[in-house]
Amino acid sequence: MSVYKHNYRAYTGRVTPLWTRVLVLARYGLAEVWSSKISIGLFTISLVPFLVFLVGIYLANNPIARLLITKGNSPGFAIDAGFFLKMLENQSWFALALASWIAPRLITFDLADNALPILLSHPISRFGYVLGKFIALFAALSLVTWIPSLMLFAYQGYSAPQPWAFANLPIAAGLLAGGVIWIVFLSILGLALSSWVKWRVVATGIIFAAVFVPAGVGGIVSAILRTKWGLLLNIPVMMTELWCRLLRAPDPMRPGQAIPTAAIAAMLLAACFICMGMLNKRIRAREVVRG
Amino acid sequence: MNDQIIFEDVSKFYGEVLGVNRISLSIPPGITTLVGPNGSGKTTLMNLMTGLVRPSSGRISVLGLTPADATEFFSNVGYCTQFDSFPRGLTGWQFIYDSLMLHGISEIDAFGLTRESLDRVQLGDAAGRSIASYSKGMRQKIRLAQAIAHHPRVLVLDEPLNGLDPMARAESLALFEELGRQGMHLVISSHILDEVDRISDRVVLITGGYLIAEGNIHQVRQEVRDKPMQVLVRCDHPELLASKMFAVNHCVEARLHADGRGVFLRTGDIDQFYSLLNGIAVEGLIKIETVAPADDDANAIYQYLIGSNGSAS
Repeated sequence: MSVYKHNYRAYTGRVTPLWTRVLVLARYGLAEVWSSKISIGLFTISLVPFLVFLVGIYLANNPIARLLITKGNSPGFAIDAGFFLKMLENQSWFALALASWIAPRLITFDLADNALPILLSHPISRFGYVLGKFIALFAALSLVTWIPSLMLFAYQGYSAPQPWAFANLPIAAGLLAGGVIWIVFLSILGLALSSWVKWRVVATGIIFAAVFVPAGVGGIVSAILRTKWGLLLNIPVMMTELWCRLLRAPDPMRPGQAIPTAAIAAMLLAACFICMGMLNKRIRAREVVRG
Repeated sequence: MNDQIIFEDVSKFYGEVLGVNRISLSIPPGITTLVGPNGSGKTTLMNLMTGLVRPSSGRISVLGLTPADATEFFSNVGYCTQFDSFPRGLTGWQFIYDSLMLHGISEIDAFGLTRESLDRVQLGDAAGRSIASYSKGMRQKIRLAQAIAHHPRVLVLDEPLNGLDPMARAESLALFEELGRQGMHLVISSHILDEVDRISDRVVLITGGYLIAEGNIHQVRQEVRDKPMQVLVRCDHPELLASKMFAVNHCVEARLHADGRGVFLRTGDIDQFYSLLNGIAVEGLIKIETVAPADDDANAIYQYLIGSNGSAS
């Protein structure tokens, strides 16, 4: 029998707020993101369109440069909502590629390594764990979506005559909102699908499939039933519609084919709720299930 | 603050699969060994204790705390899982330091506690190396360091001796013993019963999700009345002692020790046995050197109550 001296002392020092502990996991996640050469490669490639659009803004606002490369009295191109919509659309594809590469690295490694019991035996909930991963993914995707878009907007505001920026502030708000909605959706979708697959490569494929397969199904539904509502399964089309409205750009859809904004929002919310349900089901510390 | 780990009629089902069923336990400070065959529910019991899974029914409190108050609960509980798993890409130092940050410990304190725990498991020199490059024993040690780094009052260790060489095993056992003596709760599951048995105050036997026995090892052994107790008596005339003992009814087996300097005696009534042995010693015909129980350890209890096939007998 032990003789209890009771001289053991538990830690009684100051403890940090809960939210700072989530940031530790976010830091883990960001380190994981940048540890991959493919992630860095994708980030680098995503800068190419940014540079092209940057040059475009420069040319549009510099009369001498424009004279040198345009012939006659060609007006060149306008820097308007349509220009920024193109930028956002381009970058959103990079965001999808990055999300499908990064999200599995954030979740499937922990699942495959059985690291969840160690992480969750700390004062951090399953929600906190997912939030930490979400912050890492959101931050990474921000670097290729709304941040470069707003940087271009700021450059255009600086280059153009003064009233341009103030007159076009809704474009900036649209870029921010459109970019954030897309990457929040992508992050939740990526994490949820990754949590169900232990093989990273398979998870990457499934994330791509989750975006494109429903679009095909939606196209078939629309064709057979002669309805526009099949487009609700077509995420790229749905997002383009939403971005057009947020940036106040011309709607590319034919009259009568447009989907109401409320329906798009409801669809995105429903998808997010399903993803959160999937995460709730999979992110658990349980180690052993006896058979 | 209550100083017990209390299970009140706790059951845990994974869907239709039974984890543990109707467990009622009260574990005081000291070292408690969880014993049971594979799949008996030991890890489920530990996961319940550490708040990693919620009971399907019943109530658990650890030192009066429940996982609902996560910060307070987890600052008092340290868990070393049996799985050789870590978040990827971390060095030993980062693993402990980040674990402390997850516990909400400030950076300055975390720095000191990291160094202290690494020194305690003698991994200070390897702290800067990636955990992926550690040997199995080192990974076991770093998990232990992570579990004790934040100075928990309850330490739950799932198979903590697996993969350790004899030297490291002895060091770990010494550390457990020291922590137990200091008033910490240590709950250990291990298949290396012989070694854990030496430091354990209590044993909890579980099989098939059901609690079979719990309590002080010697008391539990005495409760197993249908299995006669075995005692090793070292003496100069073991044959004579065996013949004298067989004169009474309760002595059912005698086996000479391999070195011929002792005899294993099995008796159904240990009190009468010791009384008779006293008488023989007083007679002076046989010079008795030592008397020691030979089967009131966790290993023997395991064999008697659970058996080699893993089912309760």
